[in-house]
Amino acid sequence: MARRKLKVLLVANRGEIALRIIRTARAMGLRTVAVFSEADAHSAHVAAADDARLIGGAPAAESYLNIDSIIAAARETGADAIHPGYGFLSERPEFARAVEQAGLIFVGPRADVMAQLGDKISARKLAIAAGVPVVPGLEAAAPDAACEFAAREGFPILVKAAAGGGGRGMRVVESAEVCVAALEAASREALSAFGDGRVFIEKYLARPRHIEVQFLGDEKGNIVTMGERDCSIQRRHQKIVEESPAPHLSNTARDAMLAAATRLARAAGYTNAGTAEFLVDGDRFYFLEVNARLQVEHPITEIRFGCDLVEEQLKIACGEEIAPPSAPRGCAIECRINAEDASAGFRPAIGIVLDLRVPAGPGVRFDTHLARGSEVTPFYDGLLGKLITYGSDRKQARARMVAALDELAILGVTNTAAFLRDVIASEAFGAADLSTRFIEEQFSHWPSEDQALTEAALIAASLTASGALGIRPTEAAAQLTAADGADRSPWKALGGFELWKRQ
Amino acid sequence: MEGVGRLRALEAPVKLKSGSRDFEIEILFREGFEIRARIDGRELAGTLRELGDASAILEIEGRRFRVMGARRKQSILVAVGPRTFDFAPVDGGARRARRGLAAAEIIAPMPGKVLKVLVNEGDVVSAGQAMVIIEAMKMETTLSAESPAVVKRVCAKPGDTVDHGAVLIELSPAVVSSALQSDPEAR
Repeated sequence: MARRKLKVLLVANRGEIALRIIRTARAMGLRTVAVFSEADAHSAHVAAADDARLIGGAPAAESYLNIDSIIAAARETGADAIHPGYGFLSERPEFARAVEQAGLIFVGPRADVMAQLGDKISARKLAIAAGVPVVPGLEAAAPDAACEFAAREGFPILVKAAAGGGGRGMRVVESAEVCVAALEAASREALSAFGDGRVFIEKYLARPRHIEVQFLGDEKGNIVTMGERDCSIQRRHQKIVEESPAPHLSNTARDAMLAAATRLARAAGYTNAGTAEFLVDGDRFYFLEVNARLQVEHPITEIRFGCDLVEEQLKIACGEEIAPPSAPRGCAIECRINAEDASAGFRPAIGIVLDLRVPAGPGVRFDTHLARGSEVTPFYDGLLGKLITYGSDRKQARARMVAALDELAILGVTNTAAFLRDVIASEAFGAADLSTRFIEEQFSHWPSEDQALTEAALIAASLTASGALGIRPTEAAAQLTAADGADRSPWKALGGFELWKRQ
Repeated sequence: MEGVGRLRALEAPVKLKSGSRDFEIEILFREGFEIRARIDGRELAGTLRELGDASAILEIEGRRFRVMGARRKQSILVAVGPRTFDFAPVDGGARRARRGLAAAEIIAPMPGKVLKVLVNEGDVVSAGQAMVIIEAMKMETTLSAESPAVVKRVCAKPGDTVDHGAVLIELSPAVVSSALQSDPEAR
């Protein structure tokens, strides 16, 4: 096993994850290189790195998905390794291959392993061969065959993009009438999002939980698991709350899942950090997919195991052997704060952060790239930050999360913090009555009427309108002009607002 | 004095809307920490403590809220704890409401690509009917009619790249009333 020395790390990502990776790399004494698109020139990750390179236009296809541009930036800056983060190119085997061919270290699994696991159909075959249970389904579904399968297994069925991940390119089909149209739409979405229109279908479990196992593999063939994460609380198949350990999971089931993940990783010849996702129905579990990268929700594992998964990744990439993890402790919860309007069907939101209050205190961690003046653009995924709390038990972690969400305020970008606060504070969450249907069952109507809160908002709005409360326009304008360029400053046309006076 | 100036400014009632709801709010009195307001005819009293970071602690109805605010071109943004509100001054939307339309246009909520246009000019559409499918932020979004209407003009075709706020479809009211015929704008 060749030990390699790593000195300069390029982070091929943006947002909170780029910042988080740069922090660890710096703490390890590495020199760091950020890459950025034209829309991200003033982003936190650019300022945090020792060096930064513009890699293209605002659309991801021109920048964060532009392999040639990223490799060129690595060569120019003398980087010897590339960390892909999550999303973007992190699970593209052609990227891992291009990095290797450029003589650089890719911080992740080998390209061939990623290709095998990234394709849901071959991943499923591998799972079956490794003795890991899978959900009944049909590969490469043509409309006719899919409808036949659905008639046999019963609706609803789930249509998934073969190259998809993170819930994208997935649809539930409820009835035979919409089956063909849904397959077409899923295929179209898959083609545009992943460049691969193949879809496959599965029996849809009514109230499953989503539980995943974190594992690490090194070049010597060692595989270790680091507990599980329950990611059942989702909206449109996107995780929004994660916790570890999974509540109400029997030790037998937990051990069986950890063993299954180990078998799978070993069968794949996996190196670096990965996650095996399972759907869980009672104590029965079915393999869903492997995420061959660092997960968004990795901090809850870090907190319970007292480790830094990015550091582990970098050590493995240098050829080091994994040390056995320490025993996990307590409970950790993560909430993903997204730029969405939860009161309007989770419509994506954009804007400039005019003011920001960040929670703190014992057992509270907030991973974000936001600062006052940050701009949230429509070009990328709307994750604003991840709020993570730790407690000696679930009750304490939950209470800390509610308090921390109450403290959090992001003015200027509509976000899901208040929605998540109500989710975490709910009785159903307290009882850990978890399933992937949780949000639609418990929170399909939000917010409930709160007269005092609305009145407080109106008083604040009235005071703000008259200039008696809030950021003084001059002060804010100076900050925003510096941060965002005068053209985009919302204060430029200030004065357009008038009081509506009673005649 | 600055404080006096503020008080005078606050005397004017402000009409605001959030989503489809209209409110009328008037600050009646403010001295020291005390504040009194009238909201839609209902009076309430509380305390307001301004903090150094441009936020304030507002206590009303026995509850304590941390509030922040900022003015934008066409709206006022407010945060109450983790909740955010976007208030707009009440404006010409009233005329559209009279004409029986929730919205006179179908507008792109985000920059994106038009995938499908499901209606033609002259079509009568019902509330909730799907009109345009766009792809934005890597997801397909279906834009639907908010109220019954007639498609006046289709301004987008599949494959178009549209900017945030682009008008995709113009609508006219579904039922032509006599009141409407006298409205010179409705032809």
